[in-house]
Amino acid sequence: MINWLQVLTNSIIWGCMYMLATVGLSLSYGLSRFPNFAHAEYITFGAYMAFLFLVMLNLDIYLAVGLAVSLSAFIGGLSYLLLFKPLKSRGASLVHLMVSSIGLGFLIRHFLMQTFGGGIKSFRIVWPTISIGPIVTTPLLLAILIVALVIAFMLHILLTKTKLGKAIRATADNPELAAASGIDLNKVSLFTWSLGAALAGFSGIFLAMRSSLVPLLGWKVLLQTFAITLLGGIGSFYGVLIASFILGLSENVGVVILTWLGLSADYRSAIAFIILVATLILKPEGLMAVARRRV
Amino acid sequence: MADPLMYLLDAVAYAGIFGILSISLNLEYGYTNLANFGKAAFFMMGAYITAIMSGLKYPFIVNSLLAILITSVIGALTSLPALRLKEDFLAITMITLGEVMKLIIKNEEWLAGGVWGISGIASAITIPGLTFRERLIVQIALIYSILIVCYFICELIVKTPYGRILKTIREDEIVASTYGKNVFKYKIQVFTVGSAMSGLAGSLFAQYIGTINPYMFEPTVTFVVWMMVILGGPANNLGAILGAFMVEGIQRASRLFKDYLNLPLDPVNLQVMFTAILVITVIFYRPQGLLKEKIKPYEGSPHKIIAPKFMEVKSWIRRS
Repeated sequence: MINWLQVLTNSIIWGCMYMLATVGLSLSYGLSRFPNFAHAEYITFGAYMAFLFLVMLNLDIYLAVGLAVSLSAFIGGLSYLLLFKPLKSRGASLVHLMVSSIGLGFLIRHFLMQTFGGGIKSFRIVWPTISIGPIVTTPLLLAILIVALVIAFMLHILLTKTKLGKAIRATADNPELAAASGIDLNKVSLFTWSLGAALAGFSGIFLAMRSSLVPLLGWKVLLQTFAITLLGGIGSFYGVLIASFILGLSENVGVVILTWLGLSADYRSAIAFIILVATLILKPEGLMAVARRRV
Repeated sequence: MADPLMYLLDAVAYAGIFGILSISLNLEYGYTNLANFGKAAFFMMGAYITAIMSGLKYPFIVNSLLAILITSVIGALTSLPALRLKEDFLAITMITLGEVMKLIIKNEEWLAGGVWGISGIASAITIPGLTFRERLIVQIALIYSILIVCYFICELIVKTPYGRILKTIREDEIVASTYGKNVFKYKIQVFTVGSAMSGLAGSLFAQYIGTINPYMFEPTVTFVVWMMVILGGPANNLGAILGAFMVEGIQRASRLFKDYLNLPLDPVNLQVMFTAILVITVIFYRPQGLLKEKIKPYEGSPHKIIAPKFMEVKSWIRRS
């Protein structure tokens, strides 16, 4: 007997995690017009920084998470300032930008492997289980839910009510027009890249605390983040919001179906791939397209 | 390996196999601007098909032909949805395809040996009574004859009018379609040929190395092939092969270097970090690569170019 309420809860929690991991990718993709493959490594970076502060230096958990998230934001901003901005100003092609983002990703991942070692690490926190009716959960999963909802609400306020958020949306829509209207593209891009990397780092901490910390932590959700970005429509925050819950639900229902079919539950990432390809065939501009894609 | 000559010959064989991958990527990226970030996936498919078929006691020629067939079909099918869109969609599809392929191979133990891989793959040419070194030389002869064939196929493709259409697509798709060329059709054809060559390279790799496992086909492989093309010079087949030799040389040298320097660094990490920095530097300061694309200079007035063609057409009409 399958506890469908539990499946639904897991889907929502996974959706929250994916949302945090993807928002930055989608926004920076919409703004800078290229997929940043190093985004997966911001996720890993955040998790390793949290490990450094929390386990190795024994700091307070809130302080450790805060430091890790700000360092992720720093790395995101730095990679824009030192790598992608100069490349763009040199007129690098889309393919060159993508190749260098993969290069940056490898650089970050192997730097972390060199510093922390390649083995599996654990935060050594045992989460007690909480039962709410038929649903079994842990404080960590509830924290993910609350944090993600708060962040989603704050992002909504940021993007619709503040000047900066409106500038982000305007730039994603039409960079030339935005620049002509007096928006400082560099400032907007820098902010978006840092914000995106910070949220990715945050999701990385949650991902690592849920299971364990490995150098491939971020790379393992790369497929999911790209499926969500394309399904939601590149550059659209609300698209990411909807698409992450769609993916969370289809993965969790998919796992139930996979076990029923007698296949390995590892194939859950293949579900993301199917969604990705289906999006490209049926609706390549995504559910909510902001950045117009010129073919 | 204790024998330094063996180490060198092994490096030469690897450079040949990666040279095939490199010219196939050059055909896709250098000439047609198709960003294939799934090289490792096609390479892996070719290797695994050969390994599985070798386990069923089929000869190498059958295995490699099957590898070419299956990889080209999979390449055409998976690139189909993305090829109508911009380059970044193809890049995303291919990079994720690599992960899905690895997932299948790791999970289907009955088919592909799971994480342990497949061992005991028969080599293509078995001549009894040869020493290990002589066998390596036979292998190198096989790999390089295939590399040369692939090189000439690519040269043939790009030097003909067909190649000029590809270059037009690379420069401006709209121009190509204005001239009545079906851009989509050309892209699929190029992608299919590129995938087939990668499959063949995988097939050669499997029979050369004898044992394969999924960890040999990490995304770093794709990145290394990209590095070869970007360093050697996109849209120059000799450059792509030169790039393959240079990158293989750098990798081997860094492995040797590490033993003498006693650096407190893990060799794999060092290698990947160094490769990544090198790629970014090349993209920054010499995006055209070491060997530039040879562009034929414009000769004389358009009349001089068109007139002989016109005569050709006239004589052709007269003959038929």
